[in-house]
Amino acid sequence: MSTAAPRRGVQVLNETLHAIFAERDDVVLFGEDVLDPYGGAFKVTQGLSDAYPDRVLTTPISEASLFGVAAGMALRGQRPILEIMFGDFIALGLDQVVNGISKFREMYDDQVTVPLVVRAPMGGRRGYGPTHSQSLEKLLLGIPNICVVAASECHDVGALLTAAVDDERPVFFIENKLLYGRTIRRPEDGHIGELAVRESGDPYPVLTFSATGFTEGSATVVTYGGMLPVVLDAVTELVLEHEIFCEVVALSQLVPMELDVVLESVARTGALVTAEEGTLTGGFGAEIAARVQEAAWSDLRAPVQRVAARDGIIPSARPLEDDMLPSVDDVVKAIAALDGVRS
Amino acid sequence: MLEIVLTREDANTEYALLAEWLVEDRAAVAAGQPVCVVETTKATVEVESPGAGTIVQLYGEDVEVELGKTIAYVAESADELAAIDAKAEEKPAPKAAAGDRKATRKAAELAELHGIDLSTVEKRGFITERDVEELIVAQKAAAVPAAGPALAGVSTSGVSLPEAFELDETVGAVDPAFLESLDHDAFRALTSDEKVGALRGAGAQIGEGVDLGEGSLVVAPRVVIEDGVRLGPRATVVCEEVVAIGELSQFGADLELRCRRAYLGAGIWGGRSVRIGGGGHRDPWATLTIGDLAFVGDEAFVNVCRPVLIGREVFLTMRSLIVTHNVGHSVLEGFENRFAPVVLEDRSQVGLGAVLYAGARVGAEGIVASNSYVVGEIPAGSFAIGVPAKVTGSSSHKLSEARRVDLARRFVDDLHELLALRGHEVSAIEDDGFEIEGTRVAFVESYRGGVDPPAVVLALDVRGDVAEGVAVLDLLGRRVHGSGGVVLDSVREFCRKRGIKLEPGPWSYPGGLI
Repeated sequence: MSTAAPRRGVQVLNETLHAIFAERDDVVLFGEDVLDPYGGAFKVTQGLSDAYPDRVLTTPISEASLFGVAAGMALRGQRPILEIMFGDFIALGLDQVVNGISKFREMYDDQVTVPLVVRAPMGGRRGYGPTHSQSLEKLLLGIPNICVVAASECHDVGALLTAAVDDERPVFFIENKLLYGRTIRRPEDGHIGELAVRESGDPYPVLTFSATGFTEGSATVVTYGGMLPVVLDAVTELVLEHEIFCEVVALSQLVPMELDVVLESVARTGALVTAEEGTLTGGFGAEIAARVQEAAWSDLRAPVQRVAARDGIIPSARPLEDDMLPSVDDVVKAIAALDGVRS
Repeated sequence: MLEIVLTREDANTEYALLAEWLVEDRAAVAAGQPVCVVETTKATVEVESPGAGTIVQLYGEDVEVELGKTIAYVAESADELAAIDAKAEEKPAPKAAAGDRKATRKAAELAELHGIDLSTVEKRGFITERDVEELIVAQKAAAVPAAGPALAGVSTSGVSLPEAFELDETVGAVDPAFLESLDHDAFRALTSDEKVGALRGAGAQIGEGVDLGEGSLVVAPRVVIEDGVRLGPRATVVCEEVVAIGELSQFGADLELRCRRAYLGAGIWGGRSVRIGGGGHRDPWATLTIGDLAFVGDEAFVNVCRPVLIGREVFLTMRSLIVTHNVGHSVLEGFENRFAPVVLEDRSQVGLGAVLYAGARVGAEGIVASNSYVVGEIPAGSFAIGVPAKVTGSSSHKLSEARRVDLARRFVDDLHELLALRGHEVSAIEDDGFEIEGTRVAFVESYRGGVDPPAVVLALDVRGDVAEGVAVLDLLGRRVHGSGGVVLDSVREFCRKRGIKLEPGPWSYPGGLI
């Protein structure tokens, strides 16, 4: 969904939910404090319960059972959207996901599907402390038969959410908290700002950015969601200050992991940096590094570099939180440290 | 001054809707009066004025405002209101954030060096050093055939070239046989009159009252020297094609002027040990032009392997340095080799010991502070200082009419004091004037006659005819009306020392009371 006036992430998500509810009768949404006038902790569901009082349900603080309720509704032919107020608390529902939701379709020989969407705000940089600031996507990466989708401010956020609701698979829909307040920047004439952009793949597209119109590049940075603006700032700084040109690949579908576009980019640039807001060990970057070195060892002239949060807890104090989370400077340093980047 | 700030009501939201103003912008408000309605995530609230005064609203209605922002001021007095308005006017355009910058640092620096305006570049995407290099090549390709080597495509915008630049190429042509057989040492040994006679005999055009000082040498295939020019002693002027010098221009001892073409205007004042030439001074592009009434200070050095254009009334002060090329290692190893012109537009000033690097251009009336290092362009009317020179302000400030009159009126006091200290007999000051040697010297804002001769009048404006026996210095029109003797000359010299150069010119102070 694209509109002429600049829209913030929360507005796009809210408008999309209204459109989905108008379009489909089988969609229901529930979660904590989602009713009007409050409209959810981040206001994504604002106005929805006033418009559709029977299809928007407020719940107790009981994530484990919410996942079970969603699974049941989905098995019975509805399209539940479950809002987890803070993504940190998906952990309470993971048994339902690992031992139920992700397995039902195969266990029952394709006789059922579990088309549910779990919307989960993730990410820090807001001073919310150790248990309300994490990016826990990596806990989901190894679960077979689910789909993990992460929106970024350069993606068509509305189209991603609509596709997630239409999807027959269980979908985790990751919304970085900073996305709500940021303006969505979609490509115009194949560019966002000064960066050339290509978009490919359906229904969860991959965006590829180049500072040179894809004619040259010293490295590929692969990232997603809330780290995309950080990475774009870093590659812009490298262009403006040092004339180091990189490509950026922004995935929206993290699982199942499809890396064709990443491999194409690495074939052009010869080096890879991964960037994620979650902690380093066993994360998104680790999985990508493993896959890329298997598939494209001969294209790489340098070891893959990973940028991520330090392996620790996220402090509430903002300066300490900033120190913990990956920054523009961390990305710049990781790229600059690659062999052959500084000519 | 009080501020109305949108406070954070809810940890999860960053914005609130400023729904409605309850008072007009700039209305009087009372303390505690509700002034606007704000919709936060939890409620609609009225925001009250923190005090009594005039409200200045910073946002419209129905807009999302980031929490923590000031949405209005309440001015408690007229002064505060004026201060708020002044602050709003002063506020510079928001500095381009990193996201708005298009040109890389390397590209911007190269463009600055070549005076290229990057805002004219039409390109989707970043502007890189390579883009600028391509632009420079294209500009050179476009410029060279049109301009020929004399100015090598350099823009003369803002530069008043000396009349000599337009002279027909046959004027002052010297017999090649004379040049071939000329014994330089023997020529130097001649008296000034003998040198002038020899050059004239060979075809050079040399005016009256020209003094080619002791030990001086002037050699060129074309020589045009107008009345009253004085060079030397020990001047060396050797040009590959032409040397032309306008009337009353003078250079002190030990001038060295070597280039392909030298076009110097009238009334130029050059100090001692001025050196013009250096590496590449015989190159096809080695052209020097200096405009009328320019000043070239002692020991100034001007390298001319590419054109150097110095405008009218430019001050190039002591020991300042102009270079049109650098000395570098191999370009093929990535070292810079730069050959570029230097331009000082009219009435610009270069301070003591300042360096103008190849490609530098100082706009009209721009000032470069002492010991600065100029790379690239200094805009017209600006003041630049530092290494490298950065613009820090304007080169002049705006004078109110009253202040200008006040300054001019004070000239009479200052001149009176100077003359008295020099031991001259002067009358007491009366009606903005005094008498010296039987002549009245006076200031009037606007001269419309009514001053008895003999008199020398300083005026900011002259209307109608000037009476016989009266000389009027029109200080803003920069012109002398009427004639006078030693008193007029002395007053004119006094004005010159305040930067006021008057027509008709060029003029040199023959000596007098000060």
